[in-house]
Amino acid sequence: MTLQRPIIWVHEEALGSRNPALLEQPDRPAIFVFDTRWIREACISRKRLGFLYESALDLPVTLRKGDVAREVIAFVERHQADGVVSSLPVDPRLERIAESIEQHCQLDLLAPEQFVDMPRPPRLGRFSRYWRDAEPVVWEGF
Amino acid sequence: MPPRPSSTSISWPEKPGDLPRDLSDRSELDRLLAEQFPEAGGRLSPLRGGRDAAEKTLSLIDPRRYTKSRNHLKGAVTGLSPYIRHGVLSLAEVRDAVFQRIRSRDEGSKLINELGWRDFWQRMWRDLGDGIYDSREELKTGHDPSSYARELPEDIRSGRTGLACMDGFQSELTTRGWLHNHARMWMAAYVVHWRKVHWKAGADWFLEHLLDGDPSSNHLSWQWVASSFSHKPYFFNKGNLERFSDGQFCRTCSSNDCCPFEGSYEQLEDQLFANQGAIRDVPARRHRNPQQRSGGRQNPKRSGQAAMARPKR
Repeated sequence: MTLQRPIIWVHEEALGSRNPALLEQPDRPAIFVFDTRWIREACISRKRLGFLYESALDLPVTLRKGDVAREVIAFVERHQADGVVSSLPVDPRLERIAESIEQHCQLDLLAPEQFVDMPRPPRLGRFSRYWRDAEPVVWEGF
Repeated sequence: MPPRPSSTSISWPEKPGDLPRDLSDRSELDRLLAEQFPEAGGRLSPLRGGRDAAEKTLSLIDPRRYTKSRNHLKGAVTGLSPYIRHGVLSLAEVRDAVFQRIRSRDEGSKLINELGWRDFWQRMWRDLGDGIYDSREELKTGHDPSSYARELPEDIRSGRTGLACMDGFQSELTTRGWLHNHARMWMAAYVVHWRKVHWKAGADWFLEHLLDGDPSSNHLSWQWVASSFSHKPYFFNKGNLERFSDGQFCRTCSSNDCCPFEGSYEQLEDQLFANQGAIRDVPARRHRNPQQRSGGRQNPKRSGQAAMARPKR
């Protein structure tokens, strides 16, 4: 079902204007949440928080701190939204947060722009193996 | 007065508990973070976040000079990693910027290759999930994994090893939050092989500070140095460090007469590792993340082969 009145969840992997959720829904309220549990448990320094804060300030987002899923869900209610749109995360920590949000409301995750769009998934395991598949495709754009 | 953090505006009302968007300067941001996150140590980095800073850094890249000088600490590396890591710049944007600055494929192949590394690490993370936090394979150092200290020694953490290079890297790491890749590898090798500290203690420490702190590239690179994600351990000698740092540390180092990195690779290998002859054929151990989400994932068959082409010795 297509969301009519979503809010945007911006996370640490997509603090830029190419964020696919912001591109798709540029006029909807957006939120970035400092994950206090991650900051505490990983001993994240102020340098890193400052970098995230300055990057978030360049985007039209409300800044919060706390339990990320809880804050995002509260933001849904605050704006009487019908769901959440975000960018597809890679970090399993963000995936777990996404799963928590999904238990409460619809969450659409949009894939960000690819570095290399492969016709079939490249072989991993070793960089050389991956690069043998990926490099010719990357250079097609030159 | 320090430059003001840039800010766009929002079109919906603020509520109690929202963090402020209107900050007069970076000092105010520093104070705000100290108040809101008292557990987060240190001060702001001189490196700024945000799109303007990212675009300025991107405008300065020089793919041709990068090709020739990237392994030197003073080489023309891009400094884009914090912006790419947090999506301020997409990897595709950087790729296109490189393409615009080169006339032939040769001029940009090294830098495009390095962007490929970033993509590779992300794909590995998607595949392995939380498995990146565990040793991927047996160590090839000949030492029992339990013989490595689980805590980072205080003299390394506080930059008081007495080695000008390592203390210099610690200072850059903890004040700037960014290190040249070669410095990261030297420091990781020192921590793991000379000090016999488990790679994860060092990797976690780096993530506390690096603005580009990406668990996948960071932890798997530490494992590459340690040899739990490679065919053999990575180490270096004084000549290598001196060459690629232009001697900037060795000239003034108080430990110059007793440098632990002095010696040939053969001598250091004998000193650091227990059974060099037996390290070649250790079978790879695989951990798969059982909770993979996205479809169409790869099914890598790892060998014990080193997985990357890092700086040359």
